[in-house]
Amino acid sequence: MKDLTIRNLSKTYFDPYAGTNVTAVHDVSLKVEQGEFVCIVGPSGCGKTTILNMIAGFIPHTGGEILVGGRPVKGPGADRGVVFQSFALFPWRTVLENVAFGPKMRGVRKVEREKIAHEYLALVKLTEAAGRYPAELSGGMQQRVGVVRALANEPDVLLMDEPFASVDAQTRMTLQEELTRIWQEKRPTVIFITHDVAEAVFLGNRVIALSKGRVLEEISVDLPRPRSWDALNDDARFKELSGRVLQLVRSA
Amino acid sequence: MPHRLSSALWFCAPFIVLIVLWAVFIPYFDVNPRLFPHLSSVVQAGIEGIQDGTLVQHISASLLRVAVGTVLALLVAIPLGVAMGVSPFVSNFLTPLFRFFSVLAGIAWIPIATLWFGYGFGAITFVIFNAVFFIVTYNTLLGVSTIPIHVRNAAASLGAGRWAMLTEVLLPGALPNIVTGIRTGLGFAWRGLIAAEMIATNVGLGYMLFVARDFYRTEVIVLGMIVIGVLWLLLDRLVLAPIERATIERWGMVRRA
Repeated sequence: MKDLTIRNLSKTYFDPYAGTNVTAVHDVSLKVEQGEFVCIVGPSGCGKTTILNMIAGFIPHTGGEILVGGRPVKGPGADRGVVFQSFALFPWRTVLENVAFGPKMRGVRKVEREKIAHEYLALVKLTEAAGRYPAELSGGMQQRVGVVRALANEPDVLLMDEPFASVDAQTRMTLQEELTRIWQEKRPTVIFITHDVAEAVFLGNRVIALSKGRVLEEISVDLPRPRSWDALNDDARFKELSGRVLQLVRSA
Repeated sequence: MPHRLSSALWFCAPFIVLIVLWAVFIPYFDVNPRLFPHLSSVVQAGIEGIQDGTLVQHISASLLRVAVGTVLALLVAIPLGVAMGVSPFVSNFLTPLFRFFSVLAGIAWIPIATLWFGYGFGAITFVIFNAVFFIVTYNTLLGVSTIPIHVRNAAASLGAGRWAMLTEVLLPGALPNIVTGIRTGLGFAWRGLIAAEMIATNVGLGYMLFVARDFYRTEVIVLGMIVIGVLWLLLDRLVLAPIERATIERWGMVRRA
């Protein structure tokens, strides 16, 4: 795990419908320490997914720089694991093979990489599902696979793009609690994108409010861990922080 | 598997009715065998054809041409389809050509194919190649381009290079479409094969049919038609359809995005 530095990052693209250049991300700077959990929160169209896609290397940035462990990002790479909103599992691979995919790309032998995959599946209680295909699993189970598939490759930074937005509310709360537990156990460096203010405050050490491609404010979240919804639902400090972030995001 | 058995029986039922009608009405109306044969003489022709080896010879000649033409077509079509699926430039550039040549894919190629390859194996295999090639290329292109971008991104961020992207993502992702393409293409190829064999060869099921006409041997003509139909049904139902089902159903396919 390494740290991540973003300096004066911007993204401008040509909008063929408007016939003009549009700036989706404007001069964003951000430093994420090793082992930190940072949430970027903002409404649709605020540029948060664009930022994540640039960090992942899926799209090029047009200004500034992105450094992972001091090295500039050029395209996608195994040092940055990604968890997608749409899960993006390989439908033609079993759950076990999906999780073992990253190690396989690194050249880890079959016996060894399946052992790794089994360990990670146990972490999310999916040992039973190892031999099944993604289409046979519920959305919540698929995203558990998505999370451990990224983690099993031991990336320096884990990038999560609204990973729980397409599962039902109850499952989402369970997944959020599981993610905080896994984070405490493995301490990966995480950048988590969401439009859900409560989710951001619940998960993060730090919440970055974004609007119209600019950073509005950074808020430190000093809530104790382990965190659970039972404990935090009526927690005054949680409500206060959520209220502040919500106000920021809405006022912009 | 009682369900499989009953559905197989239902599939055969109309054919059994047809055969019974044939066995009853052709003798009843005393139809001239030069116009349509009795069931018994077709069975007889089948037994003779098996005994003297000619039927087997025709069948194996036809199947060999289909097999060789199809394999050659797949070897070219799948890589080309992947290239088109990956590169918008290649795809845009080649699409007009494909529109044009897919209309011609079939026995329109026979005259020039016989000039290039002579009568027989080469020309007919070329017709098969054409029938399979265009449709499999198009389906491969379709399959590759419908793989969700997130799935490709996921592979890239898990460390997949160009080769792994091809073998681990693009080909398996396009496989259900490729199989569908092969199934459709072989259907066209089978029809084209019979037509081509009537024109450009001296062995094969199409040739068997066509020559029998010169001697008014309607029992051989009908036997040939039955063999052509049955062979295709066996190939389609027992080989192609199960493969298609296995990939598409098992994987609950990709399209959920």
